[in-house]
Amino acid sequence: MSEKKNLLKDISEQIDNIIAHATKKYPERLWMFEVQKSVWQDIYYAKERGQKVIMLGPNGPTELVYAMGAVPFVLDLVPTRLASTPDSAKYIDIAEKYVPQNMCGISKLDLGVILSGDIYDKPDALIYTTTPCDSSRVAYPAISEILGVPTYCIDTPYRKDERGFRYIAEQLRDVVALLEKVTGNKLDRDRLAEVVKLSNKSAQLLTDIADLRKNIPCPLPGRLLVLNELFGSMQGSQAMVDFLQAEYDVGKAALEKKQGVTPGEEQFRLIWLQNMLWSNVGIMDWLEKEYNAVVIMDGFGYKWSNIIEDAYDDDQVFTGLAQRCLNIPMIHGASGPAQPWIDLVDSTIRDFKINVSMFVGHVGCKHTWAAGKLIKDYVQNTFGIPTLTFDVDAIDMRYKSTDEIRGIISEYMDTLIEKKAAV
Amino acid sequence: MAENSTLPFETGIFNASIEAWQREGKKVVGTICCHVPEEIIHAAGMLPVRIRATGCTDDSAAEVWMSSFSCSFARSCMQFFLDGRYSFLDGVVCSDGCLMAQRFFDNLNHQFKDLYQQLVVAPRLYTDEAVPFYREELERFLAGMEKLSGNKITEEKLKNSIDVYNETRRLIREFYDLRKGDAPPVSGEESLKVTLAAMSMPKEEFNRRLNGFIREVKEREPSNGRGVRLMIIGSTLDDPEYVKIIESKGGSVVTDVQCYGSRYLWEPTVPGKGDMLDSLARSYLSRPVCPRMCNLHTGIYDFIHGMARDFSVDGILYVKMKNCDLWGGESVHIEDKLKAAKIPLLTVEREEIMTNVGQLAVRAEAFIEMIEGGAGR
Repeated sequence: MSEKKNLLKDISEQIDNIIAHATKKYPERLWMFEVQKSVWQDIYYAKERGQKVIMLGPNGPTELVYAMGAVPFVLDLVPTRLASTPDSAKYIDIAEKYVPQNMCGISKLDLGVILSGDIYDKPDALIYTTTPCDSSRVAYPAISEILGVPTYCIDTPYRKDERGFRYIAEQLRDVVALLEKVTGNKLDRDRLAEVVKLSNKSAQLLTDIADLRKNIPCPLPGRLLVLNELFGSMQGSQAMVDFLQAEYDVGKAALEKKQGVTPGEEQFRLIWLQNMLWSNVGIMDWLEKEYNAVVIMDGFGYKWSNIIEDAYDDDQVFTGLAQRCLNIPMIHGASGPAQPWIDLVDSTIRDFKINVSMFVGHVGCKHTWAAGKLIKDYVQNTFGIPTLTFDVDAIDMRYKSTDEIRGIISEYMDTLIEKKAAV
Repeated sequence: MAENSTLPFETGIFNASIEAWQREGKKVVGTICCHVPEEIIHAAGMLPVRIRATGCTDDSAAEVWMSSFSCSFARSCMQFFLDGRYSFLDGVVCSDGCLMAQRFFDNLNHQFKDLYQQLVVAPRLYTDEAVPFYREELERFLAGMEKLSGNKITEEKLKNSIDVYNETRRLIREFYDLRKGDAPPVSGEESLKVTLAAMSMPKEEFNRRLNGFIREVKEREPSNGRGVRLMIIGSTLDDPEYVKIIESKGGSVVTDVQCYGSRYLWEPTVPGKGDMLDSLARSYLSRPVCPRMCNLHTGIYDFIHGMARDFSVDGILYVKMKNCDLWGGESVHIEDKLKAAKIPLLTVEREEIMTNVGQLAVRAEAFIEMIEGGAGR
């Protein structure tokens, strides 16, 4: 067993160091790091600040947690944060004492971190949902058992319809009761309305940013798609609004100057059909530099907004939060029937003027692999775009080296360039 | 272990019973996964048949659709559809058991557009809120079955179907009980064939035959020697040959906790005060049948432990289908508890196509020897 560590403290300190470095080297990009500082230090310092920490599954209701004056800690932040560090291996190995190697790396790392005890202070409660996948459906109940803290599991139905939204909304009211018990606070309607408005604002900004990305050249780099995934962990916070606003402003300014992110003229506009490659985000920068190719949009839907019109209408608020549980990006795209995912990919390719498709498939995400041909055939038959397909582990960098990944992509991109030249 | 016998059942995927049923102009509906209450199909005058892939030897065409990272059971079922093995079906109903079952269904939707297909969304919790949600889903399912069959499902018909199925459950439990004693008169291989037959022929006929078979088995000569008493738990296992290999090494599979065995039909549905859909919803949701149910992990362990105790099990074979996240990950819920209960455990990974027979035989033999050598309870 490796030496125990205070993981949250370590991450918090790493981010301080990154910010110190960025302040000197590229102060204009500080907004990208401030949002990370906010999410991690809010979690790490919560106890010191007298706040309760509520651990959440990937599509948990962060707004309700913020409204109760507590701090949401979306556990999946840990694997996506550690994926590009050697620490990921330590926790994956711990989990693999129990679960198979072929289980999703996100769930393995979640489990490993909890089993390791490296998160020193237990959260005050755990709220998770029954989505997105089979791995999470065994991991989160186990995490609940290991932590031994008050837990609520929200059942999120497979099919997305009004009846399902009502079913979730009913459970969200139970979540409020749990949070009231754990925090000792009563739900303050004014505070909830304030949080919902912030959440609306960030949802709208996410859509506005996606709209910027429709332009040629794309004014924002692919890497920001990865950072935008913090959205699900911070919906309802001022920090998320500030981050997205800054991103929007940067993108808008670049657009006005017709400035892209590639050194030469933008040549290739990619859709990234499966999970983000958290273990190797640098691939996106490399694609931009090497091939003037930008990952314009992911295939799971980080272009979505769901606005709750009246933040004081309880029915609207709870139904709206329920819709967010089922429609949040990735949950929307990957954890339900295949057809909505196909529809999402269809609109993305059309709206974002995509000309290259890549299915860089996280091995643990077996259900997306099992729908992969449906998606890829659709893309080929509808748009005449073939899809580069290969397997990676989006969390465990030991699975495939950077050179290997680059090699596979290079061969494909070189072919595309040759084909383009021939035409 | 029992002598080999000719079982009085139809165990084939398409068999004489189904053929006879269809000759009468009646429809056959395939079901995928554990939360499709067959009673509703039965009440509509149709024959429910649980989809499986027993004996699949090549899933390459399905792999093209579902990739090598998918569950090979789901893939093999898909292969059987592509091969035309299920061309006799009039419809397919799928509950969203695991995402592999669901993707199999998605691929079916895509490739067999003319086949009637219906999805039954099953909650992944057993709670007060989940039951009415699922009940409403069953109403939709019932309406779909009325449409497909052209028959109205009356309360009387549904009550009759629940009674028929409760009798199947009672008989299956009685049949399992035969192996509680020191000299089990039937083998695990035979037992699996019986439950597979239950999924593949009309229930009234099955009940009649099982009743007779139980009487016949009770008259059998007891097997020689006690042998090491094993239980199989884990992912889908629909191949009696797999059990046969284990038993050929000196083990006696006396019970199981898996969805093509005991977990198919076990706990009776108790008709409530008039609302039979509510009864079915409660019955199907509350069964600790699969780790897909997020708040029944403890129930699954308790059921496993209870079966091990009731059947005097010496060791457990935990069979995980490759790429089965649910049973693959369930270890974290049950392994330490089984160790604490001092029940020897052997975990093996398998694929639907039996490519690792030799390896299984060696491991099963070593496990049995280990228990015989005193590592048992």
